[in-house]
Amino acid sequence: MRNRPIVILLVFVLVLWTQHAWGKVYIDIDSPAFQKFPIAIQDFKNLHASGDDIGLSSWFADELGQVIDITGFFRVITRGAFLENAERSGISAAETDFRDWRAIGSDFLVKGGFAKDETKLTVEIRLFDVVEGRLIAGKRYTGTPEDKKTIIVKFAEEILLALTGERGVYNTRIAFVGRKGQISEIYTIRFDGSDLKRVTDYKSLTLIPRWAPDGSRLSLTSYIKNNPDSYILNLRNLQRSNLTNFRGLNMAHSWSPDGKKILMTLSKDGNEEIYSMNIQTKKLERLTNDPAIDVSPCWSPDGSKIVFVSSRSGSPQIFVMDSGGRNIRRITFEGSYNTSPVWSPKGGKIAYEGATDGTFQLFLIEEDGSGLMQLTFEDGGCEAPAWSPDGRYLSFISGKGGMKKVCIINSNGLNLRVLGGTELMDSLKNPSWSPQLD
Amino acid sequence: MKRNYVMYVAVIISACFLMLTLGGCACFRETAVKEEAVVKPAATPEKKVEAPKAAPAPAVKKVDEKALAEEKARREKLMAEATAFEDVYFEFDRYDLKPSARTKLDKLSAWLQKNEDFNINVEGHCDERGTLEYNLALGERRAQAAKDYLVNLGVDPARINTISYGEEMPVDPAHNEEAWARNRRDHFIVFPTTWEK
Repeated sequence: MRNRPIVILLVFVLVLWTQHAWGKVYIDIDSPAFQKFPIAIQDFKNLHASGDDIGLSSWFADELGQVIDITGFFRVITRGAFLENAERSGISAAETDFRDWRAIGSDFLVKGGFAKDETKLTVEIRLFDVVEGRLIAGKRYTGTPEDKKTIIVKFAEEILLALTGERGVYNTRIAFVGRKGQISEIYTIRFDGSDLKRVTDYKSLTLIPRWAPDGSRLSLTSYIKNNPDSYILNLRNLQRSNLTNFRGLNMAHSWSPDGKKILMTLSKDGNEEIYSMNIQTKKLERLTNDPAIDVSPCWSPDGSKIVFVSSRSGSPQIFVMDSGGRNIRRITFEGSYNTSPVWSPKGGKIAYEGATDGTFQLFLIEEDGSGLMQLTFEDGGCEAPAWSPDGRYLSFISGKGGMKKVCIINSNGLNLRVLGGTELMDSLKNPSWSPQLD
Repeated sequence: MKRNYVMYVAVIISACFLMLTLGGCACFRETAVKEEAVVKPAATPEKKVEAPKAAPAPAVKKVDEKALAEEKARREKLMAEATAFEDVYFEFDRYDLKPSARTKLDKLSAWLQKNEDFNINVEGHCDERGTLEYNLALGERRAQAAKDYLVNLGVDPARINTISYGEEMPVDPAHNEEAWARNRRDHFIVFPTTWEK
């Protein structure tokens, strides 16, 4: 994991080097002014020309379009607008008339071909720069027919890598609290809204799921024993182990980047204070000492600082302190109710939830309190932000229409979408985004 | 101990209910338990089925029918009182006790000091607005505020347990001011500690 940025950088450099300083990668796709990449995806060619699998040609194109669309970075051009005759053109640059693609306003073009028999599927996919008429990325995949979705996601990652410098978050999951009647359990769902799983069955109130940095465990708080105690859930075997069961509140909030410590709120010493616990030794270090409420701590990505909520100035506001509890400073001064701070994994920016005009909305602010920006403006309000591991998205809860649902928004405030697959629950709360799950 | 109180209350109530039905005495009808005890809390309420075991004992023993009836009546009366304490309400994002809350707690304190065989569980609750985590802390404060007040009035702190349910157990699930006002509350569970099952 630690080597990841270097690997990405290497690939990045290689892409640049081999392709003459590919200019588009310098576009700041996280900026609110970002214009989506217009991209055309032609029906894939059946290279066996055997006549069956007619549906597969458009399936590949449709599927790839849907998979890249959820990133919010692309405008997929509808096939009805295409001018080039797919029958007569090929899938190489030489066999493509880029003028036909420029004419429909497309900056990028994906062409693909496949050959399939009973047991084997080969797919070749190419991404072209339409403006310069040149190949950006090309891959050949070989597998079984069941691998077709995986192949599409893999190439979507290639497209993202070439155009944004990162592979995206297709292999991540979002954990959240799902409520049915008086019971709440923890669920996880894929980034694209598929594959919903319930990971607890405690028939109690279970809250605050938080991913370990290796993605193998969740910390959580549950009333299984009629007190809000904290636990660690192993996601491989769904075994639960006790973390803390002090008298009063036990909330585990944030795993340190190295996975060795966990930030907690405990009220065992008379009121809610923030502690850092060594998970191995269970040794506690108390970080705050104030009669007001101190809660919701979150590490900075390098582990040197902690952002948290305190009501020490009269109303809940966001504060930052060093990881040892020193140098406490308030960073929010707008509004009378600011909570749920989460530090971007890319550093600098902190997202939080604040009350404004009778609703709660998401805001971004720099760790020094500068650069305040309101990110959402939803009627039903937005709560409980959680960053994607690449820092490009936030998941959160939106209460539009009275139903609380998990939503995702790009970090520039665009492309809000409701995560599907959760219709069975009364309301959803408190999302947490996994690291990359390989 | 504290974690068994729900079971305990349930057992007592079931026992009383059974005695009532067996005895066929109409005079106790009013005392049937309100939602207070039944609603509580999420953890496996189904286990209550064991309760009837306790009830047949008085009928079988045939000791002093009259004393038994009196004791039964006394317990019915106490349980009715114990389950009748009203919730106290709070302002948004506040945990200080309003005058109306103090008045209710004054009565509760007097009753608890008169009935030392009862303990109390104070549940702190919030409305749905704001953060789950902050609301758990706020609920804790609300419960603690009531406990501190009762202790100041002379109730033994060992008899008072607090628990926060944050925004997780609304009495009114609606999303409006009226519902929020009802949900920002301390709820009291007063239960006997010494009665045999």
